[in-house]
Amino acid sequence: MQVFLQTLIGGVTFGAVYALVAMGFSIVYRTMGLVNFAHGSVVMIGAYAASTFYMASKLPFAVAIVVAIAVTALIGLVIERFLRPLENKDFTLMLIGTIGFGAVLEAGAVLVWGATGHAVPSPVATGPIDVAGIRIPTYSLLVIAVAAAATGLLALFLQRTKRGAAMQAVAMDHQAATAVGIHVGRSNAMAFAIGAGLAALAGSLIGPMLYVNPTMGGTLGIKGFAAAMLGGFGSMPGAIVGGLAFGLLDSFAAGNFQEYSELVTFLVFAVIVMIRPTGIFGEATVNRA
Amino acid sequence: MKRLIWLVPLAVAAWLLPYGLGGYAIHVADVAIIFAILAVGLGLTMGVAGQINLAQVAFFGVGAYTVAILTTQAGLGFWTASGLALLAAVVFGVLVGIPALRMQSHYLGIVTLGLALAFTNWVTNAHIAGRAEGISDIPVPPMFGIDLSSGYLFYYVELIVFAVALVFALLVTRSPLGRRLRAMRDDDLAAGALGAEIPLLRMTAFVLSGLYGGLAGILYAGLIRFVAPESFNIANMFLLLAMVIIGGRSSILGCVVGAVALSLVREALLDASGFAQLGYGLVVVLVVVFAPKGLAGLPEQLRSLRRGRGGGSRAQLGPFRPYDAVSPAAGEEALEIREVTMRFKGLVALDAVSLTVPTGQIRGIVGPNGSGKTTLFNVISGFYRPGQGSVVLSGHDVTGMAPYQLSLRRVARTFQNLRLFEDLSVRENLLLGLDRTRTWWIWRYPSLPWKVLGYERELRRRAGDLIERFGLTEVSDAGPRSLPYGVQRRIELARAMAMSPTLLLLDEPAAGLNGEEVRQLADIVRSIRDSGVTVIIIEHNMGLVMSLCDQVTVLSSGRVIADGRPADVAVHPDVVAAYLGDSMSAPTEESAEAAVEEATR
Amino acid sequence: MHFTRFSIAAAALIALAACAPPGQSGSTEANATGPIKIANVNAQSGQLSSLGQWEHKGVKLAIDEVNKAGGINGRQIKLDLFDSQGDPTVGTNVARKISAESYIAMLGTAESAVTLAMAPILKDAKIPNITSGQSPKLAELKSPFLFLNAPTSVTFDETLAKYLVDDKGMKKIALISNNGAYGAGEHDAFLTSLKSRSVTPVADEVVTPDQKDFNSNLAKIREQDPEVLFVGAEEVQSGLIAKQARELGLKAVFAGGAPMGTDVYATTAGLKNAEDTVVSSPYLSNEASEEIKAFAAKYKAAYNEDARMHVAKAYDGASILIEALKQTNGEGGQKLADAIRGVKRAGLLGNYDYDANGVGIHATKIGLVKDGKVVPEAAS
Repeated sequence: MQVFLQTLIGGVTFGAVYALVAMGFSIVYRTMGLVNFAHGSVVMIGAYAASTFYMASKLPFAVAIVVAIAVTALIGLVIERFLRPLENKDFTLMLIGTIGFGAVLEAGAVLVWGATGHAVPSPVATGPIDVAGIRIPTYSLLVIAVAAAATGLLALFLQRTKRGAAMQAVAMDHQAATAVGIHVGRSNAMAFAIGAGLAALAGSLIGPMLYVNPTMGGTLGIKGFAAAMLGGFGSMPGAIVGGLAFGLLDSFAAGNFQEYSELVTFLVFAVIVMIRPTGIFGEATVNRA
Repeated sequence: MKRLIWLVPLAVAAWLLPYGLGGYAIHVADVAIIFAILAVGLGLTMGVAGQINLAQVAFFGVGAYTVAILTTQAGLGFWTASGLALLAAVVFGVLVGIPALRMQSHYLGIVTLGLALAFTNWVTNAHIAGRAEGISDIPVPPMFGIDLSSGYLFYYVELIVFAVALVFALLVTRSPLGRRLRAMRDDDLAAGALGAEIPLLRMTAFVLSGLYGGLAGILYAGLIRFVAPESFNIANMFLLLAMVIIGGRSSILGCVVGAVALSLVREALLDASGFAQLGYGLVVVLVVVFAPKGLAGLPEQLRSLRRGRGGGSRAQLGPFRPYDAVSPAAGEEALEIREVTMRFKGLVALDAVSLTVPTGQIRGIVGPNGSGKTTLFNVISGFYRPGQGSVVLSGHDVTGMAPYQLSLRRVARTFQNLRLFEDLSVRENLLLGLDRTRTWWIWRYPSLPWKVLGYERELRRRAGDLIERFGLTEVSDAGPRSLPYGVQRRIELARAMAMSPTLLLLDEPAAGLNGEEVRQLADIVRSIRDSGVTVIIIEHNMGLVMSLCDQVTVLSSGRVIADGRPADVAVHPDVVAAYLGDSMSAPTEESAEAAVEEATR
Repeated sequence: MHFTRFSIAAAALIALAACAPPGQSGSTEANATGPIKIANVNAQSGQLSSLGQWEHKGVKLAIDEVNKAGGINGRQIKLDLFDSQGDPTVGTNVARKISAESYIAMLGTAESAVTLAMAPILKDAKIPNITSGQSPKLAELKSPFLFLNAPTSVTFDETLAKYLVDDKGMKKIALISNNGAYGAGEHDAFLTSLKSRSVTPVADEVVTPDQKDFNSNLAKIREQDPEVLFVGAEEVQSGLIAKQARELGLKAVFAGGAPMGTDVYATTAGLKNAEDTVVSSPYLSNEASEEIKAFAAKYKAAYNEDARMHVAKAYDGASILIEALKQTNGEGGQKLADAIRGVKRAGLLGNYDYDANGVGIHATKIGLVKDGKVVPEAAS
């Protein structure tokens, strides 16, 4: 039982991170129909930005995160300019084009920060909370809380603000949105910036949990992508549920199948997606593929 | 095929190449050929058939690992092991392809990627596969006393295998199978309506993928004589993908060029690093953005650039040559629909619809928008399986049959919003309609390739006849998208008639046509009817309906509200009410259909 | 069409049969003048590139020194770097390349799997290779042209087991290792050492090299309440395991090989969590001896970063090669391999004395991590 609950804790913590990554994938996809395989590398850039500000300029962690989000969102705007010709193109081109861009970001990170990477000291000094033998690291709680807050803020933005509503409209119907005077290009740029910001948030939260290096984005990207798909590609609630589900799947597979965990995780994933191709919440965009 | 004549000097050059290369350079060439075979396989699956397959590198691995395991652990001979390895790779290809039956596009991409990772994970763990350190000491393949441990002699083995593989791939792409695969990539629904067995075709694509992957894996095992998990990782998958995209994915020769080019680039970067990855990434991005068709598409791109953007097609349609009339068959019923009900998430699109169409009739179906007309067509042509009721075709119950089955039972249709295959020429669009073979016919490709070529010649002869009959001679080699709307409508009609149907379903064939074109359409449809084909036509142009149809059925809100001779129906009080009532208020059928269509893709 | 192509091919085949088959004519004789060509093969891109870059810096430092001092009996050494990308296939390519371009010796790689793939080709080409890999399988190859610049995992883990079980009397030992080439080697070697002391581990968890969340594995280990947790993984993953283990309240002493003596391990785990980790390594710290101190200072001056074991062993490997080259007067092949085998050198990692399997160092030392730095264990 203890093992089970402890596994759950680990799964939920990493699930929260996957959820953030998946949300970044989804918001870009639903608004502009772009499957961005460079997203994992954007997470890496975010992680580097946050940890660099946090460690080198001694900013408080929260401030470092905000700065990192802003910086990465700006980088996102630049990336969006490059990727614009790929939007709504056929999937194969997007796939290889964004992978290529991911390679560029990775190589850029090596040139700027070096290949070695660095560890980020935990910003939370208090020890783990002990609940009947189940240990919950305080930093995990922070991650889950921040992820939840970010989700809430994003939902508020999309539903309550004019900009957000415009983005929703573009997601639902490209042409109709243009017809009622919504600037689709601006809306797309906005979506990409938000996606990059979410990636930066995920990256900066992951930093102290893991280790920041140029190749960290690969696995995160694939798992976040799989999580988005599990929940229903393009659906925001789907990204959250999918992220948590994938985190749990991952951690239980690790406990029960040891070195074969990866095999089991992806087989189970394939079977679930076979049974329900549109994910738990269904694909949110209308006929984009 | 004639255009491939320039391959001959290239083949001679390839044959003589080793005389000019050093010991290491020949090894580079050997590796490049292996990647070229892999790229051809990926080009067939992804470029031609449109199946996103990120497991090609795993098929490669299955081939190489099977040879390694069977030769070192089971003591089998190299070539015996190779035969089994090819089989294993194909079986694995089929297994990985199964998800393609349920999903496409990025879904398929990530699932195949996941399965490739699962394969790597397995070989990293399994003791039989040598775990993380891999398997070394794979024996040198024996070959009648020729020492294949020499990179030079192995080159010739590879070259012959590669030539056979390339010729086979070219045969596939330039024949009925390749055309169907490309049609499936463009629009799987329309391809299904033309008789393509989509599930089987998708599996065929993955079988081809496995075949080429396995073949490359065997050569790899024979050349490197060492296998380890890292050699089949995602980075190499992406490299392979870049080869196919940069070369030009829908052109097999482009894939080969891409593979050879990137192999050489990778080689050149071996002792340079740092900025190498940056440059590689940038090249990929630039190619995708500026030359989406890759190196193979570059000449065409340059040509259209030079020609400028002014030249829209001014193609003229020729006159239609009528079919020979046959005396109408005795009053058999071509189609009977019994109490068909169709629901979409609570919305009733068809509500116990019954109608009977006698052989040799032109039946009109009219009704306000959202009344269920297109849904009815989708039920008849097998896109939807009705919730209740049955569809009977010339006395046989065909309810719930797949579109390709109905197509083989000679039901043909056109689409409201034109579903011509844009990447195929007009002639190829018609050839697809003419090809009435089942997918299992493709066993002739490996065993009797000349029969395939003979069949293809016969198809082309008939296509020429059809083109001439429908007056399409001037446009026969153009891409449909470049043609005026009226011409495209005519092409779609010709494509449907290519299937020699007994029942022809026309969904708003006059939409977007001018008066003269509508008049021509009426003549063509009458001639088609006179040749013994039953025609059902959905149309909003009431003038056409009144003059053309023998009988008219009126649908409203999914129910038949009137049925009879055109003149009688036009004055029916319910019909008048339906048309005067708010006909725009019930457009929900379209959106529900779109949703269902998306879900079933 | 097909027939024409076929007939042309057939004609070419006949022509081929008539004349000699293609191939390199003449052997690549070692030129006795001009620079001596040495290849350094290591991952410069991908996951393992940081390792590869350290390796290269260490090698370059040694080569630059000797070149500045006049080279090998007056001849300069030309060092060329090749990127193995951590991929064995690329490794085999490089092996063929350096043999075709008549390099007389090779240094690297840091990944056993790549070196294993390259070894048969280098053996055929008679190119001595001093590798930084430490998999026992490298020694099992018994290739006369393959030399290790560090002990194998067997030595690392035997020393560790001796210290933990024999000296400290700890018997409740749990294992966690990854299934990569390094992790699996460590796992097998440590398990063998435990078996020879008839100690059965209380838990034996295996993870994947990409895994980041060890809650489940560690919770299972915690149930057994071990005294020692042996970690067989690379630097970062070892650090993550240590961090998460402490967060779970695991009190066991951490023990492992060289990766756990690095600053990457200590900072990833957090200095507090890494405290008192037992490390078995031939190179404990930059302050272990006067020679090492001098080397560390030299390295810092050259690259403005701290030295570490990977750098030191690459430096040692290059130094051994230089010494052997001086004996053969720049000649390669069998003669160079014999010379390397004959080198007796007090290196940074210990005293090199090569055996028939190409292993030069047969002992490691035990150290403890104190405040992120390894200090030698005084008791042993």
